Amino acid sequence: MVIENIKLAFNAMRGNKMRTALSLLGIVIGVASVVAILTIGESASQSIKDAIAIGGLDMVTIYPSSGQRNTGIFNEEFSSMLRRDVEGIDVVLPQNSSIARIRVGQEAADASVVGVLSDYGDALNLEYAQGSFFEAMDNINRRQVAVLGSSIADTLFPDQEAVGQYISLFRNQAKNYLVVGVLESKDPTFNLSYDNSVFIPYNTYGQRFVRSTNVGAFVVKVTDGFDTIAVSDKITEYLDDIVGTDGYALFSPASLAEMADQITGTFSTFLALIAAISLVVGGIGIMNIMLVSVAERTREIGVRKAIGASPAVIRGQFLIEALTLTILGGFLGIVLGSLLSFAVTNLMDWSLHLSYASFILALGFSMFVGVFFGWYPAVKASKLDPIEALNHE
Amino acid sequence: MIDHVITLGNVSRYYVMGEFIVKALDGVSVTIKRGEFTSIMGPSGSGKTTMMNLIGCLDTPTSGQILIDGEDTSGMNEAELAFIRNQKVGFVFQQFNLLGKLTALDNVITPLLYAGFKPRERKRMAIEALERVGLADRMYHRPNELSGGQKQRVAIARALVNNPSILLADEPTGALDSRTGNQIMELFDELNSEGRTVILVTHDRELGLKAKRRIYIRDGKIEV
Repeated sequence: MVIENIKLAFNAMRGNKMRTALSLLGIVIGVASVVAILTIGESASQSIKDAIAIGGLDMVTIYPSSGQRNTGIFNEEFSSMLRRDVEGIDVVLPQNSSIARIRVGQEAADASVVGVLSDYGDALNLEYAQGSFFEAMDNINRRQVAVLGSSIADTLFPDQEAVGQYISLFRNQAKNYLVVGVLESKDPTFNLSYDNSVFIPYNTYGQRFVRSTNVGAFVVKVTDGFDTIAVSDKITEYLDDIVGTDGYALFSPASLAEMADQITGTFSTFLALIAAISLVVGGIGIMNIMLVSVAERTREIGVRKAIGASPAVIRGQFLIEALTLTILGGFLGIVLGSLLSFAVTNLMDWSLHLSYASFILALGFSMFVGVFFGWYPAVKASKLDPIEALNHE
Repeated sequence: MIDHVITLGNVSRYYVMGEFIVKALDGVSVTIKRGEFTSIMGPSGSGKTTMMNLIGCLDTPTSGQILIDGEDTSGMNEAELAFIRNQKVGFVFQQFNLLGKLTALDNVITPLLYAGFKPRERKRMAIEALERVGLADRMYHRPNELSGGQKQRVAIARALVNNPSILLADEPTGALDSRTGNQIMELFDELNSEGRTVILVTHDRELGLKAKRRIYIRDGKIEV
């Protein structure tokens, strides 16, 4: 019976192609907007996440509060303590940084001078345009070597290779550092670009550059296979217990990514809800055409009743017709919405992430619209008096 | 015991028209035996159409009792009446009333669809019915590709297909030329001689006289 009714619905649509197309337009536009908004939103959020991921989605940075730096737990032993007490931590790297003026002959630049251990380069997957990161022995011997970010290198050495040259770092007094490596440029994401940084060995920083044993920050690398946000939550829990919420600050690209995801998610859901209103308008179009259809086919309804169609059967026939219309509209809308998303993401240079959830959502919603707005015309048809319907011209 | 396929017991059907009550049928009692060929005759407005609608379960009486094939239809709801129409009554209309977008075959299949037969069975029965009225070669044609006589044959096949207790024909030749009309009447005769109960509703005296039993109605009452 259902199959016959679907056939009948297509018969009716074929009989009135123009009218069917116009009445479907509302549903098609509604579904297309919902699909496009959710898909474009998903693609935008994915591209933001991809951009953040450049900054290291598996990194969490802990900044001890100024009051905690001399005393408390944030000393040389903190690294091994954290690794012992919190699961899922690959390495913990102490880090110090400050802004300093750097000179090479007549050229000068302000840069962030960062003191790190030699395994920092590998831990952060740094890539080198020239040379390499400094060695463990450079740290132990407190040698005055430096790895330059790409912009600093371009500024200080516009015409020549930086590796093998000396730069002068000024802090109380100027000291010369040998350049051993230059980093590849990276797109800046949430200030996580190293283009304007100068890396020097951790011990050199503490004993020759600043002369302080305080640790400014700990960079934590999460073990492969562990969820960064989960690990950073555990670290938060752990540190809250020991030093309290005011004792430190924590920064992770992963939680930023999550936040960005939530914002784009909320935003596109909001837009999709607005688009869903057009689906309701489309539903009214469906109701209208179904009422016209019932009125036009009054005699047919009379005949069907005379040969034994019960009210439920008539109701079913018109409900299925309304549903067929809206499902067809839903499919056309999904195709149109996907094409639209493809065009927009292409234009924005984002990678396309088709939101299959939105397909199901849009189709489900248009079916709901079909039943909701098809119900009244269908009930109206089923309640027609057979004799009056048969005599209808 | 006499096998009564239709029993009307003191049946009345009143319509309220503003302040007036129109007694379309007024206390009619009649029985029709299985296998009878009966005509219900009367001028327009006499109440014969009302009587046909009541027998065909398209309408319910204001008072009185109607038994179709022994089943009391008074107090039945819409769905139960639809079931009786589907199972017990085969309608043939003056204007054929075929479904224009369906082929002859699909038109004949439709009552079987409502009766719940399986697709294969439906098709077999419908083809059989179309063969019976001599239209098997036209079964994939739509009504607008058929002549008036052919349309009425399809309508008769549709009325027959569910093997109903009663064939109820309302002016079945009214829209046909006299030659085609005669052929249709011959078909009814044949169906009756095969044992089917045929009720012919007409205002045409000549046509009505072809039935073996005649019921005359005037002003909502049976004339003896």
